[in-house]
Amino acid sequence: MTEPRSRGGWGKRLAPYLLSLPAGLWLLLLFIVPLGAMLVMSLETCSPATGACVMTWHWGELPSVVSLYRAQFLTSFYFAAAATLADLVISFPIAYWIAFHGGRRKNFFLLMLLVPFFVSFIIRTIVWEFVLSNNGVVLHTLKNFHLLPHGFHVLGTGFAVVAGLAYNYLPFTALPLYVALERIDYRILEAAYDLYATRRAGFLRVILPLTVPGIFAAFLLTFIPAFGDYVNQEILGGTANTMVGTVVQNQFLVNLDYAGGASLSAVLLAISLVGIFLYARLLGSRTIEQYL
Amino acid sequence: MSEEIQGTGAPEGVDPSFWRGLTQPRVSRRDVLRIAGLGAGTSIMMAGGGAAFASSLPNAKVGTKTWWAKQKLHHKLNFANWPLYIDVVGSKHPSLDHFTQTTGVKVNYIEAIQDDASFYSKIRPSLAAGQSTGYDLIVMTNNNPELGYLMDLGWLVPLDHSKMANFDKYAGPLVKSPSWDPGNKYSMAWQSGWTAVGYNSQVVKNPGDSIGILFSKKYKGQVGMLADPFELGCAGLLAIGVEPAKSTESDWAKAAKKLKQQKSDGIVVAYYDQSYIAHLKNGDVNVCQAYSGDIFQANLTSKFKKLKLLLPHEGAMLWTDNMAIPLYAQNPRDAMTLMDFFYSPQTQAVVEYYDDYVCPVPAAKQQLLHPTGWAVQALKKLAPEIGLPTSVTANSPLVFPDAAATKVTRPYYNFKNQAEINAWNGLFLPIVQGA
Repeated sequence: MTEPRSRGGWGKRLAPYLLSLPAGLWLLLLFIVPLGAMLVMSLETCSPATGACVMTWHWGELPSVVSLYRAQFLTSFYFAAAATLADLVISFPIAYWIAFHGGRRKNFFLLMLLVPFFVSFIIRTIVWEFVLSNNGVVLHTLKNFHLLPHGFHVLGTGFAVVAGLAYNYLPFTALPLYVALERIDYRILEAAYDLYATRRAGFLRVILPLTVPGIFAAFLLTFIPAFGDYVNQEILGGTANTMVGTVVQNQFLVNLDYAGGASLSAVLLAISLVGIFLYARLLGSRTIEQYL
Repeated sequence: MSEEIQGTGAPEGVDPSFWRGLTQPRVSRRDVLRIAGLGAGTSIMMAGGGAAFASSLPNAKVGTKTWWAKQKLHHKLNFANWPLYIDVVGSKHPSLDHFTQTTGVKVNYIEAIQDDASFYSKIRPSLAAGQSTGYDLIVMTNNNPELGYLMDLGWLVPLDHSKMANFDKYAGPLVKSPSWDPGNKYSMAWQSGWTAVGYNSQVVKNPGDSIGILFSKKYKGQVGMLADPFELGCAGLLAIGVEPAKSTESDWAKAAKKLKQQKSDGIVVAYYDQSYIAHLKNGDVNVCQAYSGDIFQANLTSKFKKLKLLLPHEGAMLWTDNMAIPLYAQNPRDAMTLMDFFYSPQTQAVVEYYDDYVCPVPAAKQQLLHPTGWAVQALKKLAPEIGLPTSVTANSPLVFPDAAATKVTRPYYNFKNQAEINAWNGLFLPIVQGA
């Protein structure tokens, strides 16, 4: 009689482990193992011909890629920061409006925000390339009306890359912001107004502080992928604004230098981790997951 | 006329010795490797099991007479080629259909190759693991190191030289025993082409005949260059008056300096892959390094007749895309059959009418002018797609090079070892991906 009960006890104790097993295995096989392989590869020396790598503990590769591609790291940083800032500025009013004035149609508006993103990332970017090309719809028309000088061009500039990044990562900013705003109890704001707060003060002293964690989550979710992005730069950028993601891609696919590419990726990862660490320190126990 | 081309090898009016210089081996890369053994070869052969000698290469027992005798037709073939590189009518390829009708080999034609390096990185893991790549026939260019890697590592099947009747009879001098594959041990050319200068004749009125146009401040902010470090480097070398094939590392450094100057002067808009042709059409650039066939194909659309090709007097690089059978291919006999089949003048005429690159078979010119056999119908079927008479292709100096085009043709530098490749990339890649 006691046997089934004790088995049940075991089952209960094992349940959380068994339940987390699929996710744990997934994480291990598809995240930890490849990540480890990349970190190991960054210290190896690889043959471009055979692709075979030999462990050489080539620590020097890490500082050397940083010094070699410092400019590209900085470009990536500036572009990602500019795009993130643009996204925050653009998506805050959108998220605010949907959260407080969306009414019953909130889900519809959120869907509208996401609809363009049902199309593949690369295709969207290539379409922008056509739209913005010198003889494309926009520039050609404006030039015909003499609203722009003939030599004016958008493609190949840093502006085009930042705009592309901002466009492509907009939902990553808008959604966490929306979640943070949506959680605000409107009655708090009403209480503030009852206490003679102006609309400005209500926004600055009630809404903004309550959305700060959302802003930071949005910041990280936008900044980190934008920092390593290469598609926008490859398609919309020119010669003077190569981002580090492009270099990584070239190291792998043009130079066939897997070790060099892995070293660059490791450095990129380290920089991103520092960002997350600072986030955790600044915002205490509130975590990104809360806003996902 | 065509007999003469076949006979002496050189087009009329071209010094045969010059022609030989273009196409004959100087020092084979592999000979250097063999002589220098591990010394020069270490980086390439690293972890290849020290395979510096032919006998220990993975293809040592493959491609011999006895091996080939055992290979039978399987009536199927997986053919990886570059996009827009074979005749198309609707969704059909007349030349491949004719091949299937004649030989019973069904071809799975895949436009899988966008550039040499990335395609190589896709097939490399299979080859390194001793497994089939899934392709029986691939097409690799001689202007990038990857074709050399495949040969050096023994990752290609040596061809069956007893089954190359068409090739032996019809192959032109540019592709017979070329410097990158002496004796056609591993490869037969698919097409060749020049890397020259494309320009928009509506904007550029007096292009001249110099590669200097790519470096001219007159076209500041209107010039495109190719991102391929080997193409870029050669443009720099030609601009400083150095023959790429005879260049030294110090020349490379000077060329890189010239290209850096071109970039810092704001002359270059961007470094493009194959997408350059779209940018040239869109007017994002007005002058650009360009592949000869692309300009010809663009001209088929009346809107883009404004695009013209310039073969600079300093030289235009001639590259060749080569068909080869990757090691462990499942259907090598079928691949071998197709390779030789495409050396019949009829088949080449059909392919060339669409492609307009440099034809490996000079006799295809006669077929384009006076087709015989199945080519009559096939060319007729293609005509509405192309919109130009076949005589235009036949008489184009860009398809069947004339003396003037041959005179400016230049071969690529043959890298002797990985260290040289690294040195080249180290100089020219930073220009492409500089901040």
